[in-house]
Amino acid sequence: MRHSLSLGLALAWFALGPGSAAAADPPSLTVFAAADLTFAFKEIAPRFEKATGARVALVFGSTGNFAHQIRQGGPADVFLAADQSFVEDLIAEGVLLRETRTLYAQGRIVLATARAFGPKLTELRSLLDPRVRHVAIANPVHAPYGRAAEQALRRAGLWEALRPKLVFGENIRHTLQFVQAGAAEAGIVALSVANVPEVDWVPIDAAMHAPLDQAAAIVRRSPRPELGLAFIQFVNGPDGRPIMKRFGFMLPGEF
Amino acid sequence: MSGAVSVAITKRFPGFTLDVAWEAEQSVLGLFGPSGAGKTLTLQCLAGLIRPDAGRIVVGGRVFFDAAAGVDLAPQQRRIGYVFQGYALFPHLSVVKNIAFGLHGRPRDDRARRTSEVIERLGLRGLEQHYPRELSGGQRQRVALGRALAIDPALLLLDEPLSALDAPLRRALRDELREILSGWGTAAVVVTHDFTEAYRLADRIVVYKDGRVIQSAPRSELLWQPASESVARIMGLSNVLHGTVVKAMPDRIQIAWRGQALEAVNSPTRSYLPPPESPIAFFVRPEYVRLIRKDRGAPDAAHHMNLMRGRIVGEADFGTVWSLRLCLDTPGAPAQGDFDLEVEVPHLVYEILEIERDRHWEFSIHRGSIHVLPT
Amino acid sequence: MDSFPIWLSLRVALSATTLTLLTGVPIAWLLARKRFAGRNALEAVVVLPLVLPPTVLGYYLLVVIGYRGPIGRALAALGLELAFTPGAAVLAACVGSIALVIKSAQAGFETVDGQLEQAARTLGRSEWSVFWNVTLPLAWRSVLAGTVLAFCRGLGEFGITLMVAGNIPGRTQTLPLAIYDRVQANQMGEANALALVAVGIVVVLLFGLSRFARLRY
Repeated sequence: MRHSLSLGLALAWFALGPGSAAAADPPSLTVFAAADLTFAFKEIAPRFEKATGARVALVFGSTGNFAHQIRQGGPADVFLAADQSFVEDLIAEGVLLRETRTLYAQGRIVLATARAFGPKLTELRSLLDPRVRHVAIANPVHAPYGRAAEQALRRAGLWEALRPKLVFGENIRHTLQFVQAGAAEAGIVALSVANVPEVDWVPIDAAMHAPLDQAAAIVRRSPRPELGLAFIQFVNGPDGRPIMKRFGFMLPGEF
Repeated sequence: MSGAVSVAITKRFPGFTLDVAWEAEQSVLGLFGPSGAGKTLTLQCLAGLIRPDAGRIVVGGRVFFDAAAGVDLAPQQRRIGYVFQGYALFPHLSVVKNIAFGLHGRPRDDRARRTSEVIERLGLRGLEQHYPRELSGGQRQRVALGRALAIDPALLLLDEPLSALDAPLRRALRDELREILSGWGTAAVVVTHDFTEAYRLADRIVVYKDGRVIQSAPRSELLWQPASESVARIMGLSNVLHGTVVKAMPDRIQIAWRGQALEAVNSPTRSYLPPPESPIAFFVRPEYVRLIRKDRGAPDAAHHMNLMRGRIVGEADFGTVWSLRLCLDTPGAPAQGDFDLEVEVPHLVYEILEIERDRHWEFSIHRGSIHVLPT
Repeated sequence: MDSFPIWLSLRVALSATTLTLLTGVPIAWLLARKRFAGRNALEAVVVLPLVLPPTVLGYYLLVVIGYRGPIGRALAALGLELAFTPGAAVLAACVGSIALVIKSAQAGFETVDGQLEQAARTLGRSEWSVFWNVTLPLAWRSVLAGTVLAFCRGLGEFGITLMVAGNIPGRTQTLPLAIYDRVQANQMGEANALALVAVGIVVVLLFGLSRFARLRY
């Protein structure tokens, strides 16, 4: 009995081996991108692949977490953050290449309302309505869009009052998820991800928060910096810009 | 000297100290005493499962433990067969695997041969593939024994080997155990709190009380001459009585007790000469109190020593014997609560003498049946 | 549906469970049978991963195994990598589940009658032999129960994995990370499919094992 069990396990082990090996071919370029770039980059990346013949692995997540991971040797070739400060810090630490630092977009925040909730909220003040029980924003500690949301709310004098109702998403996509699913009646999310059927939105005045200047840079340890640079330039170039604009980003030259 | 055991150890616990020393030759030694006296503890020290604080243990010429010399052999190295109270059979192994457990390092045929031999000699044929939970109490005991004997131990330790069994089984297995032990010839130490068991199984008995040895003697000597009242009480002797010395001589002692003048033999193993007026303890075996038949005229003084009169104030039927409680006719408070002496008579005698009906009796006790207990 | 996360997670959970068994069982035996200074500290350390937030665990683990950390550098010197590889996912699953094995196995060992082990010693068996032939066989149900729990936990490991292995599709994106990813991208169809697979694996495993071992939870 004991022997057949260990035999079975050994067989299972080997059977699973090839399965994981086949799909684990290393990609040509690993891109760590802030969550607000999800929809935009899902269009841009295939075009880049077609244009250059390289394979791109997109990893989306929170800028703050990415910064920590890259610092500890995360396998990113290029890092596109949702703001500048994280990039500046990493450059100062020598983790990112200073000469490759590029501003590629400026983000916008919007006030999003879950369609299932009812009429679209048109101003931040409306968040005080007792029918709005939860307000989703990205975690201000490590997500730039969350920080911007906090700044806007403070500017409007609503931060303390809304605090008990706030729900933090790990990154901007996570935050959107709360509103999409109706778990939060409303939230402050990135314009670039807000165009989903479940959500209505109105723009928030950009003067209410520090600009979300989004910077990118190449990781020093990357073995393929030219390819990474090509990617950034693609995003910033004639192929990428229209797509970025369509998703509501302000582009370099416009801000 | 092979098989000889020499133990002299101390071990301290909060509230209890073990401090014992005894020796035994190639035979069966009994450790006898009440529960909690330190007997099992001694076995565990012998086996190496507990480490004494100080002392020395030598078995068969090998030093198992010597605190001063820093010697402490691990249990694995001592080659001691231990039969635990409750047997400690491995529940997940069959009988044959249990018995062969200690034969691990040996070649396969050697193991098989030895195991088969043990199974045969202990009457376990047919039970080889059974598991402990399927066995009766007696069978389990034999498997436990077999497992310990299979390794050909220098010394066999048995902790209350019969206490896990019920009474009728106990008696049958007691004799069987005696045969097995003598048949196998291995030196053994048996722990028990039952005197009859100790007497039947052991040639020599060491009496334990509160972590100390209070008597060490061949079994017959212990039976007839407990060294002190403590020993007598532990043995569960009846009729442990207290009187006053009238006169002590090397072979006899005259005792004043309950208004009677008794004459007893003195202890043959020690010269015991207490001064007159000093208190003295003694005991009388219940079966040695002779009720005197009333149909044969007045009792002959030479034949009937220590003649007394009394009446029966209580009785109990034990199946083969009757236990009677006698109260002396002399005035004064009785020695043991509401009676003076416990007397045991076989059923036949009870019926012939018609004791049920006739409660007043004269009785005698031979002086050799009154045993003094030195302090 | 991309099946890579499924195979990866199965492989990670298997490796992690094996590793957890090999390290956890000896620790469980130590806690069950030995008195030693620092015992209480060890018990606290064992339970810690169950109590700390996974992201916190992940954060500090990454500092240690990343290319700047002590273990990361030692491995790099040998030409090996751990952080952001499937190996890190194994480590994360291991850390998250080892307490389950240790506590179950410890409880199992403690119920084994010490006298049986004493008997085995008097019969000449070494300490290892006593463990392998007496203690373990009598406690196998507890050990197995802990192992199954650890496997399930390893299959579902998320927070620590996200940090130390990253959510890299096609490389370290395990099943739970994949589900999370699909949910965030609002690809509910795929998310549900993957979740169903995860639940299915666990159900089959528990059902099969309970038939096999007559386990009671």
